[in-house]
Amino acid sequence: MEAIKKDPILSARDVEIQFSLRGDKLTAIRGCSLDLYDGETLAIVGESGSGKSVFTKSFLGMLDQNGSVTGGSIMYHGNDLAKYTTEKEWRTIRGKKIAMVMQDPMTSLNPLKKVGLQIQEAIELHQGLGKAEAKQEAIRMLDVVGIPNPQVRYNQYPHEFSGGMRQRAVIAIAVACHPEILICDEPTTALDVTIQAQILDLIRKLQKNLGMTIIYITHDLGVVANVADRVAVMYAGQIVEIGTCDEVFYDPRHPYSWALLSALPQLGIKGEKLPTIDGTPPNLFNKIVGDAFAPRNRKALAIDFKKEPPFFDVSPTHKAKTWYLDPRAPKVEQPESIQRLSQRMNVDYGSSLVHPHQDPNREAVIEVKDLQVTFGTGRKKFVAVDHVNFEIYRGETFALVGESGSGKTTIGRAITRINPTTAGDIFYKGRKINGKISKQLDLEVIKGCQMIFQDPLASLNERAKVDYIVSEGIINHHLYKDEADREEKVQKALNEVGLLPEFASRFPHEFSGGQRQRIGIARALIMQPEFIVADEPISALDVSIRAQVLNLLNDLKKSRGLTYLFIAHDLSVVRFISDRIAVIHKGRIVELAEAEELFRHPLHPYTKSLLSAVPNPDPAIEKHKKLIVYDPGMHDYSVDKPEWCELLPEHFVYGNAKELDGYRKELELN
Amino acid sequence: MESRTVNTTAELEKELGMKESELFSFVEYRPSEAERIGYSEYSYWKSVFRNFFKNKAAVVMMIVFFMIFIFSFIALRIGKYDYQSLRSDTNLCFILPNSEYWFGTDNLGRDYWCQVWFATQTSIKLAAIVAAGECLVGVTLGCIWGYVRKADRFFTELYNIINSVPTMIYMTLIALMIGQSFWVMCASIILFHWLYMAKNVRNLVFMYRDREYNLASRCLGTKIGRILTRNILPYLISVIILRVALSIPSTIALETTLSYLGLGLDVNTPSLGILLRNSRAYFLDYPYLLIFPAIIVSLVTITFYLAGNAFSDAADPRNHV
Repeated sequence: MEAIKKDPILSARDVEIQFSLRGDKLTAIRGCSLDLYDGETLAIVGESGSGKSVFTKSFLGMLDQNGSVTGGSIMYHGNDLAKYTTEKEWRTIRGKKIAMVMQDPMTSLNPLKKVGLQIQEAIELHQGLGKAEAKQEAIRMLDVVGIPNPQVRYNQYPHEFSGGMRQRAVIAIAVACHPEILICDEPTTALDVTIQAQILDLIRKLQKNLGMTIIYITHDLGVVANVADRVAVMYAGQIVEIGTCDEVFYDPRHPYSWALLSALPQLGIKGEKLPTIDGTPPNLFNKIVGDAFAPRNRKALAIDFKKEPPFFDVSPTHKAKTWYLDPRAPKVEQPESIQRLSQRMNVDYGSSLVHPHQDPNREAVIEVKDLQVTFGTGRKKFVAVDHVNFEIYRGETFALVGESGSGKTTIGRAITRINPTTAGDIFYKGRKINGKISKQLDLEVIKGCQMIFQDPLASLNERAKVDYIVSEGIINHHLYKDEADREEKVQKALNEVGLLPEFASRFPHEFSGGQRQRIGIARALIMQPEFIVADEPISALDVSIRAQVLNLLNDLKKSRGLTYLFIAHDLSVVRFISDRIAVIHKGRIVELAEAEELFRHPLHPYTKSLLSAVPNPDPAIEKHKKLIVYDPGMHDYSVDKPEWCELLPEHFVYGNAKELDGYRKELELN
Repeated sequence: MESRTVNTTAELEKELGMKESELFSFVEYRPSEAERIGYSEYSYWKSVFRNFFKNKAAVVMMIVFFMIFIFSFIALRIGKYDYQSLRSDTNLCFILPNSEYWFGTDNLGRDYWCQVWFATQTSIKLAAIVAAGECLVGVTLGCIWGYVRKADRFFTELYNIINSVPTMIYMTLIALMIGQSFWVMCASIILFHWLYMAKNVRNLVFMYRDREYNLASRCLGTKIGRILTRNILPYLISVIILRVALSIPSTIALETTLSYLGLGLDVNTPSLGILLRNSRAYFLDYPYLLIFPAIIVSLVTITFYLAGNAFSDAADPRNHV
C-alpha cells in the first residue's frame, strides 16, 4: 500500500470514551489508537455495541450529550480534537474538514425542505458562496452523485426520492464542501442489495475524483471486501486487529477475526454446521480484565483472563492484539474455513446433497395457487402479490428472496393467515386454508404452521415473562394436562433451542438479540408444528449470532423433520440454508430453481442483477466484480404475454415467448 | 501505530503470579460463561419510580395531599360542631375565626370548620369516583375502539358528535332535566369524560396492534381479550396512570365551576364548589370564607398536575438515563 508510507492525516491515540447511563459509567471505547493515511479507504468492522460508531463520531464532536472523550488524543493538522469542547471550535472541522454520512437517509434529510435547498444551505454555510452561485453548485453536486435531471430534482422534496436517491442526496450534502475525510456510518445497511452496490460504486468514484479519505463503518464483511484498502476489526471498544484488506481476510490472526469470518454463511458448507461464537459481547459497564474476547474463545489461554495483550506486528502493515502472537504462546491453527478462503478454494455448496423435492414420493405441505393479495381499494389499490404459484414439499427449505416491498413477507403472512388473500388459494396438506374455514381446521393450521419473526426486539412481549411467552400457544388451546405438564413443555422447548431452563422466569429485555430470537423459535416449536415460516430470521442479528440461529434452524429441520419457508433479502445466506430458491420482484415470482442451479444458471435478468450485487466476503472477487443493473422497462409485454414456464426440470422462469427462447439458447451455450 | 514493548517472561510471572507454562496454556472452555456476559439488569418500573422520586416538588406535594386527606377525617372528629346538627342562627353570622369557631361562621351563622372539611371529603370522593369510572369505561371502550377495525368508524363519529358541543351545555341540560345530586354529577361527568381517556388509549392500541409480537400472538390463535390484557394493556399502564392523575384536578375544577354556576351538587351537600359559590357575595367583607376552601382546591389541583407530569416524565423510556 502506497498510502502507508505517508504521514497520517489523522491520528488517534489511546482514546477513551465514557457515557454516563442510569447513574453508571459505561466505557464505550477503551484505549483505541488509529492512524488514517491520506487517500485511503479504511473500513472498521465490528458487531453492534463494539463502539465503531462512537469512536468515529468523536472525530466530529458528535457524541451524545451524556458521553465524552475522557482520555487520549485525536491529532488532526496539529490540533488535538479531543480537547475541543465548544460548538464554535467544532464548526471549523465538522462538515468542512470531516463530514459524515449516516445510516438512514430517511432521518438525515429534512422532510419539509426541498432537497436542493438542503444541499445549497450546506454550501452557503461552509463555502460562503452567494445564493445564485450556491444554487449552481448544488445542482452540479446532484449531478456529481448521479441523480438524473438535477434541475428538476433540485426542486423536489425528500419523499419524492427513492431510498437510494435519498442516500445519494445525503452524500451530496456531505461532500458539497469537499471535506478531507468522509466518514460513512453503515451508509447502505438500510438499502436493498442492488442499490447498495450502486452507492458503494458512487462513493468509490467520488473518492477518486475528489481525493477524499474515507472511513467506512460496517458490520457486513462483503461490503468491507468491496471497498476497503485497510481493515480494522473492533471488539468491545478496542481495535483488535488492523491490516490491509488482503491481510485481514486471507491471514487474520486475532481469534475474534477468525470467529467473525468463519461464522459467515457464505463460507459454510451446506449440510454442515457453521462454526459459531457462543454468547454475546461483554457488558461494558463492568471492568474488563485481560482479553475481552477470552470468555467466548474456545481456545483461550490462561493469560487472556489475566492481562490485556499488547499489539504484535505480523507485517509492517498488519497488527493484532492477541497473546497468540507472543513467541511463548503455543501455536494455534487458523480455522479451516479461513484457510479455505485464503487458498481461494471453491467452496463446495453441497451439490451432492439429496433434496426433498427430488424424492418421487414427495408430499406438498403447502401449495400456493394463483395467489393475489391487494391492499386498499379503488384508486389507492396496491397489488402486493400477483399470481404467485409454488409448492413446498415436506422436509425442504424453500427460500423466497426479494428486495423490500417485493411482497415476500405478505406471502408468508398470507400462509399463516395474518393477511387476508384477495384471490387464489392456499392449501395445507391438500386442504384449502385461506378465506373462511372451520374451527377444527383452524386449530389444525395454527398447530401445524408457525412463524418466526425478523426483529428480535419487537417480536417478544416485553411485559411478559419468558414462561408466558413460550407457553402462549398451548395456553390458548389448552394443550397441556396440568400446570406441571405445561412447565415441563416450556423447559423442553427452551432446552431444544439451547437456552437454560432458569430463563423461564425472566423478562425478554434481559436477553441479547440472539437469545431473544431463540425464545421466539421456542414459542413456535411448542406447538409441534410441521411447517415454519421464517420471516428474515437473521437479518436483524449480528454476524456472530446469525450462525447460532442458522445452525439451530438446520438442527431442528433434521431432528423434527420441519419444513421451512425462509424469507430473506440476502441471496448468499439463502444459498447456505435452502434447497430451492424463488426470486420475487414487485409481487411476482420471476424465477424458481434448486439453489445451486439458480446460482449456476440464473436466467431472468433480475436474478442476474441480484446475484451480481450480492457482496462476497472475498476481496479478490469483490473488488473486480461487474454490476448488472436491472431495468424492468426492458420487458415488452404489450403484445406477447408472459407466462410461467418450466424451462428445465424444476427450473421455472417468468417471461414471454421471445424471452424464453433467449433463455433456452443461453442454457444450450452453457 | 507503534507496537508496545512486550513484557519479559520474568516481569509477567511476577505481575500475574503464574508460571510461563501456565500462562500460555489453554483454558477449559465454558459455554455458560459465554452466555452469561451479555446480561442486563435494567427494569422498567424500577427506573420509573427512581426517576419519579427524584422530582422533589411532586413528592412533597403528594405527601401534603395525603396529609390533608387524612386530616379531614381527624378535623371532623376534633371539631366542636357536627356537620349533621348544624343550625342556622342569624345572631352568630360572620364571626371571624376564633377559639370557638376555628374557621369562623358563614352568613347563616354555621360553623365553617366542619363545612370546609366535609366539603373537602365530598370533592375528593367525587374526583376519585369519576376517575375510577372514567378509567374503567374509557380503557375498555378505548381498547375496542383501537383494536377492532370495524368499530373505529362508529367510535370516531361518536367522539366527534360529543366533542363538538361544549361539555357545559350537556351538564346544564342534565342538571335541569334530571336534577342535582352527588351521583347524578358523578354519572354525568363520567358520561362525557370517558371519551378523552378512550381516545388516548385508542391511539396507543392502534400503535401497538400490529407490532410483531402481536402478530405472533395472532399466529398462535390468541383471542382478542387475551391479546388486549396481556400484550397491550401492560404497555399502556403508565399513560393510564397519568390520565387518571390529571382527571382528578380537572374533575374538582369542573365541579367547582358547575357548583359556582348553580348547576353542580345540590346546596345541602357541601362541596368545595358550593362553599366557594356561597362565599361569592361576601368575600370582599369576609375574605376568610373564600380563602379556606380556595387553598384546599389549589393544593389538590397543583399536587395532581405536578405528580402527573412528574410521572409521565419518569415513565418515558427516553428519560431512563
